[in-house]
Order: sequence, then C-alpha cells, then structure tokens
Amino acid sequence: MIRETVALTRRELLRIVRNPQAIVTSLLLPILYLVLFGQAFNLENLGSGRIPQAYFLTAFRGAPTYFSYFAAGMTGFVAVTATLFIGANVIFDRLFGVLKRISATPASATSIFASRLIAGSVQPIGLAFLVLGLSILLGHLGLTGLDITASVTVVGALEVLLAIVILSAMFASLFLAVGFSLEQPQTYFAAVNAINLPVLLTSAALYPWGTMPPWFQNVASVNPITLAVNVLRENLFAGASAYYPYGPGVYLLGLLAWAGAMFVVAALLARRALGPKR
Amino acid sequence: MPSAIVAQGISKTYNHKVKAVEDVSFTVEAGEAYGFLGPNGAGKTTTVAMLTAQLAPTAGQAVVDGVDVFQNPTDIKRRIGLVFQESTADSDLTGRENLELAAALFAVPRREVTSRIDSLLDRMQIGDAADRLAKTYSGGMRRRLELAVGIIHSPRVLFLDEPTLGLDPQGRAGFWRYVEELRKEHGMTVFLTTHYLEEADGICERLAIIDHGHIVAAGSPSELKDRLGGDVVTIRPLKPGPGLEGALKSVPGASSVSPAPDGAFRVKAQRGEELIPALVAACEKAGVGLAGVSLKRPSLDEVFLEFTGREYREDESPSATDRAVRVGQVQQAFGRARR
Repeated sequence: MIRETVALTRRELLRIVRNPQAIVTSLLLPILYLVLFGQAFNLENLGSGRIPQAYFLTAFRGAPTYFSYFAAGMTGFVAVTATLFIGANVIFDRLFGVLKRISATPASATSIFASRLIAGSVQPIGLAFLVLGLSILLGHLGLTGLDITASVTVVGALEVLLAIVILSAMFASLFLAVGFSLEQPQTYFAAVNAINLPVLLTSAALYPWGTMPPWFQNVASVNPITLAVNVLRENLFAGASAYYPYGPGVYLLGLLAWAGAMFVVAALLARRALGPKR
Repeated sequence: MPSAIVAQGISKTYNHKVKAVEDVSFTVEAGEAYGFLGPNGAGKTTTVAMLTAQLAPTAGQAVVDGVDVFQNPTDIKRRIGLVFQESTADSDLTGRENLELAAALFAVPRREVTSRIDSLLDRMQIGDAADRLAKTYSGGMRRRLELAVGIIHSPRVLFLDEPTLGLDPQGRAGFWRYVEELRKEHGMTVFLTTHYLEEADGICERLAIIDHGHIVAAGSPSELKDRLGGDVVTIRPLKPGPGLEGALKSVPGASSVSPAPDGAFRVKAQRGEELIPALVAACEKAGVGLAGVSLKRPSLDEVFLEFTGREYREDESPSATDRAVRVGQVQQAFGRARR
C-alpha cells in the first residue's frame, strides 16, 4: 500500500515537473492579477491623505497597503489554479488509457486517489512561495510590492505553509472529485470555471474586508480561501491579529474541516470510478 | 494440472438490452495458447474485461489460475498480465520509469526490480531507448513496452487483447515471437483476442470463433478446418437454375452442397481440384451457364463462413493480400506451419 502510493505519487510529480506549460498556466492568472489589477488598484491613493491611515488598516485588516493585502490573497489563490491540473490529469489519464492500465494492477483505489491528492497538496507550495517572492520583488522594481511588516516567526512560517498545504489539499480533493465524475476535458474545464470564479469572488482574497457589507463578510468568512489568507495575513502584517476575531489555529481548523469534507466526497467518487465497471 | 481459465455462462448486457456477450463458456488449459477470433464488436474485449476483473458480468462464473474472478478481483489482478489493444503506457515517463511503476504496483520484490527491468528492456529491444520518454517511441516500441509492462510480475496467465492492432507486419511478427518465447520459457498460459485470421491460425493451439457475443465454434485450427470436410469449390452460375443444386449433389465425391447468399453453391470435397471437371460437366448437363468456379483450401475464412453463415467482415479485417504476406511472416516467426 505504501509502496504503491509512493510510486504513484512519484509518477504524478514527474508528470507535473515534465509539463512546464501547466506550471506556467497555474502561475499566469495570479501573476496577471498581481501585475495588472494589483498595480492599478491602489485603493489607499483614493483618500490622497485626507482619509486617515487607520481607516485603511481596518479595511485591509492590518495590511499596510491594498497590494500587500491582495498579494496574500493571490498567494492563497495559487492553490486553486495549481490544483485544477490534478483533476484534469484524471480526465487525460482516462482518455489516454493510463488509468485503465493502473486499474488493471492490484493497486488499491485508495492508493490511486491518495497519490494524486498528495501530489496536489504539495505541488502548489513552491508556486505559492514564488508568487509571494514575486510580490515582494515588485516593490524593489519601482512598482507597488508586498510589504511584510511583521517579523515572521518559525511557528508563523509553519502556519503559512500549513495553510497553503491544507487549502491545496481541499481544492485538489474538489478537482479530483470533478475529474473522477466527468469524462470529457471540455466539461471538466467548464465545471472548473464554474467553480473557480465564484469561489474567488466570495472570498476575502480580492476585496478589502472593511468595505464589504456585513452579509458578504459572513459569506466570505467561511470561504476556504479566506480561511487560508487569514492565516497568511495574521502572520505577515504586524498587529494584524487585532483585526481578526480568531488566531491562525482556528482558521487552520476551519480549513481542515473543509479539506476533510471534500476528501470524503472525492474519495467516494474515486472509489466508484476506479472499481469494476458495471 | 488445473485449468488456467474456466468460464461458465458469462454474459454481459448493457442497460438491460444490449447483449455484448451471451452465455460464453470455455476452458483454457495451463500453458495453452487460446484465442478468441471474431470481427470488431463480436464481444472479445468485453470477455477479456470480465475475465480480468475490469468489468462486472451480468451473469456467469469465471475462475482464472484457480481464483474466482468476480469474488477476488485484486487477487486476480496480481496473478494475470494484461496487454490492452490501445496504448496505455505513460507518455510522460521513460520506458524504464513505466516499468518501475508497474513493478511497484505489482509488488515485484525490490531486489529483483532492476535486473528484471534490464532483462525485459533488453529482450524487447528497447534497452537503448529505456531512458527516453515513452511519447518518443515508435508504434512497435510502444507495443513491446506494453508487453514488458504486462509481464513485469511474471504472471501465470497473460491476456492479450488485440495486442498487435495497428502494427506493421514486421512489428506484428516480432511481437508474437516474444510472446512465444515467454510461453516456452515460463509455461505461461496465453489468452488472446484477434480479428486477424492468420494470428489465430498461427499462434493459437485452440481457438473459439465468436460472433455477436456467442461462441459459434471452438477447437484447434486444424480441427475447425477439418470440420469443413475438405476443400470448398464455389460454383457461380450465370443465372439461377432450378436443377443445379441437384446436379451438383449427384457428382460422386461431393460431400455436401450448400447455397451461398449470393446465388453461388459451395461444394465440399476432399480433393476439390480433381472434382472441378465433373462439377463443370454436371452444370453443362443441367443447362446452366457458369460465371466462374473457384477453389479454396480449408482456411479460417471458410470456417467463419461455415459457422456464421457469412463472410468474415473484410472491411474490418485486413485485405487478403496483406494477410497472405503476414501469414508467411507469422509462420516464419513461429518456425512452423500448423496446416
């Protein structure tokens, strides 16, 4: 069981590494958001000095600028854009017979599913840190950049890492569930598009928290991307914790609950898809 | 020695109405090469899918290598090798990585993995390309890689589902040479499906002809041909005459006369060429003009026609010329002629 899971995970990771186009595509959307939307949307300029800094700190929940607030959001969003390929790989593996080949071996459905989930959970780590690094770099290139105002502790860094991994696991499960349920690439990508945008738009990745109407805050507060970016923002910006009702641990638990629920759904669908055909 | 495959009344019906396979029963002895011959859509792949625990049957039982297929699918998958008709190797992995993955999934003992992979790569003549991505392989190399993946765990029963589909004649002959070597060396039982007559004839010790989901005839290729009762002389009249069938039946040496769907008559005889003058004379006597006379030695084409009542679907099988070339090559590969 362990041997087959390790072998299948290695295969998934090799496939990802050998398809740089998928990696570039995963990064394209968050980077475009950062370079275009993030640069143009400098909300704090609106006040041109008349609105006190404290107002923006409340609106951006402790982040010094909108871009800093937004960059943390895009770092979380990478978990979505990177994991959608894990689900797509299921569709292509079915089309190209690879899934049939693997299903003809004694490998358990659990291993086949788990290997894809593990690959999907670890793959976005590097990409998320790349987006974080690029956001900081932009600030050194004469553009608006991410300003990490807190001194990040080891525990804080681990919390950030965990948030990215659990969020990725949750979305990997979600996209695996879709991948194991659908057969055609076009229906898969249509389904993924129908998921991505609403999930992003109902999160706190884009909008300043303080300007959201209360009902929207309620919706956004349970969105998994929000839970993950809360963990990031609390750790990256000095004094940010004052703007959050809970500590990062609570948000990580919330994320775990999401990931757990999605795992159960995806595992059941994968088991059904990988068993003998009826 | 117990039988390697015992199938009893296995059936597969899709959506309660489409009968893909119906009440199929057969036994394959250990070490035997057994084939299913039939046109596309006859039910060959469905049968393989059921026997290899890929597809749940609607009815019936199957025991492979002493294990109930439908009760113990995982155990079955461990014991059998399977080569699909389509390419299933992972294009993004190298040949070696494909084999390493298969070795891990089949739990090949770790200390044997490297030597087994090296030996298979060497035998399948893909050693030089072992570290190249499988997507760069030619059709023949991919087929040989598929075979290597299918036997990495030294299975006792090997299922080959139209494994040479799309290969050129040389590639086909080479593929069967490897299979035959494996069979001889390891006593592996081989169950294969094909719609190439010469493959069924040259490779299988016994075969079943399957059509529309039913086994219509089974036996060794020579037994099946013997059942035809010798050569077949086809008499094609210019126009149908009422007395022709009776006239042909009266010719001494004609063991049977049967009308063909196109208005011709098929006359069976032990030595067809010697009977032709008498048959032509009988036609003249009956006042029937002839459009043509042809003689066919017993072949699986004829066997198929005999048991299904129609010609082997030529549009779905290779041309006669193409076949003739390959018959020679397959027989050469096996170093024997079973006729």
